[in-house]
Amino acid sequence: MKRIMECLSVALISACTTSPVPVADHAAPAPVAPTGGIHFELNPPPVASGPWKGKRLPDGQPDIAGDWSNTAGNHNNFTDPQGGIPDDPLDRGKPVKPRSARAPSRVSDPPDGELPYLPWARAKQQEFQHGFFNNTKPEYVEPLARCAPAGIPKSLYWHGYEIRQYPGTVVFLFNSGSRIIHLDNQVHLPENISLWQGDSRGHWEGNTLVVDVSNLNSKARLGRTGDFTTEHVHIVERYIFDPGNQRYDYVAVFTDPTAFSRPFTVTIPARRWTVANKPNGWHYEVPLANNPGKAPIGDHLERICVENNAGFGRVAVQSKK
Amino acid sequence: MAITSPAAQSRRAASFVGFFGGIGVALGLSICPILIAEAGHASGGAIPRTSDGKPDLSGIWQTTSAADFDLEPHSGRKDAPPSVGVVEGGVIPYTPEALATKKRNFEARLVDDPRLKCWTLGTPRGIYYPEPFQIFQRPQDVTVFFEFGHSVRTIHTDGTLHPLDTDQEFWLGDSRGHWEGDTLVVDVRDFNDQTWLSRAGDFHDEALHVVERWTLIDANTIDYKATLEDPKIFSKPWNIEVFLYRHREPHFELIENYCYTLDYDQYYPVPKQ
Repeated sequence: MKRIMECLSVALISACTTSPVPVADHAAPAPVAPTGGIHFELNPPPVASGPWKGKRLPDGQPDIAGDWSNTAGNHNNFTDPQGGIPDDPLDRGKPVKPRSARAPSRVSDPPDGELPYLPWARAKQQEFQHGFFNNTKPEYVEPLARCAPAGIPKSLYWHGYEIRQYPGTVVFLFNSGSRIIHLDNQVHLPENISLWQGDSRGHWEGNTLVVDVSNLNSKARLGRTGDFTTEHVHIVERYIFDPGNQRYDYVAVFTDPTAFSRPFTVTIPARRWTVANKPNGWHYEVPLANNPGKAPIGDHLERICVENNAGFGRVAVQSKK
Repeated sequence: MAITSPAAQSRRAASFVGFFGGIGVALGLSICPILIAEAGHASGGAIPRTSDGKPDLSGIWQTTSAADFDLEPHSGRKDAPPSVGVVEGGVIPYTPEALATKKRNFEARLVDDPRLKCWTLGTPRGIYYPEPFQIFQRPQDVTVFFEFGHSVRTIHTDGTLHPLDTDQEFWLGDSRGHWEGDTLVVDVRDFNDQTWLSRAGDFHDEALHVVERWTLIDANTIDYKATLEDPKIFSKPWNIEVFLYRHREPHFELIENYCYTLDYDQYYPVPKQ
């Protein structure tokens, strides 16, 4: 049961710490802050595609295993990651800095940073956004609040996560849900198989893991802003790792003509975390293992969320044991 | 590997008996000699190894036993194929009080089994549940990735000890493993009390302690043994043994099964124009 409580407490923290936490001076082009807050980076320099000269695994993959997180913000706001939750009646997320001093939209194309919704889909997104704090329909409760997987791309800005690599496979272990990326050049699963995390087929191009994603059930929202894709979405993701193996950029093209007038690109910078960092309750939640007298090792403990049946927007209610 | 019918289940249960010397009288006994013969030559077969020389458990595995239906010997029921069980000595040594709880659980099994809510199955139940799981192996850990619930268990083989905080109440327990020869021995502690051990209402509390022994007996078969102890529930430690078989079908793979989301799936229609 303790796991459940922890999950709930995470929900509470995420609902209650979404004020614009001034954990790092966004105005200064400072290096990555070591700890603190959900959003502390403004706009790190992009990582370029190119050859990989770093360490490799026996099967030839670049060795990028370890702990990672995005640092611009969480899923409160998809296109304004440091802009708080729209319509929040408690004013927790009201941004204090002007838009130009906050992290850019995760939508890097179109250039205006907006999702190119068709009119009907924009209306639906607005409905979801307003419904987030006014749950008059079950579908307004974010599925993540019920322990559903965060889906794509939200898994990448919902807590830190771990990447493990094996011959022919890359595994993502998220705070809620997990993902197996097959490096097998196989075709996708049959169309009628519908998945929270989609069907992922990838390969490496130099420093870039290229992943083709389909079979998404598209029930996970992109954020508390109600942004969504449909089950017809097709995603080509590029995870571009920097030569120092300390950062990567997620650059993914989403094509979904059912809801959008044109393809759009999502860019999410990420950074690595190691045992040199202190766990901070969001980006890096890896305590030191019990390993007396030996070199420090991060301890990757179980992450399982069950029956967290309360909407974040309404503030989660803890069940009695 | 789809479970096709109770009859198919029975045959698998019978073949399981075959591996253990054919003490059972289950259906399909006639196929046992063939399987015994397979077991006979299997022990001499080469097993896959990692670059550091350890047995390589990587692959997708699944039991064909009826263990999840009922660990103890039982006749066929509408909700379970018959089986001689997988418990050494036949019967789980419950304390009298716990046995009464188990019996109540059994009567309510079609409603109260946490599996029906798709909650994480726990350890060792996840291993003998009739749905595949995949093992990914590195020197520092063995990752057990279950199709059911898409839950992930890490067996740490990096020499680290159980956490000093012994009250974290994990669904799958905290797993610390080491190799003894070609057997992976795993000590599992710090559970919650929310999981059952079978569909028959077998249960435990937070004090459950499991010691597993994983041994490849040929390239495609794992002999899985576990000792369970829990002082308030069981009068003494007890042992189970099941075989796990490698999925070898072309292109077989795990398919995400977050089945706990199915109950609310209907409330999340994909938006349409």
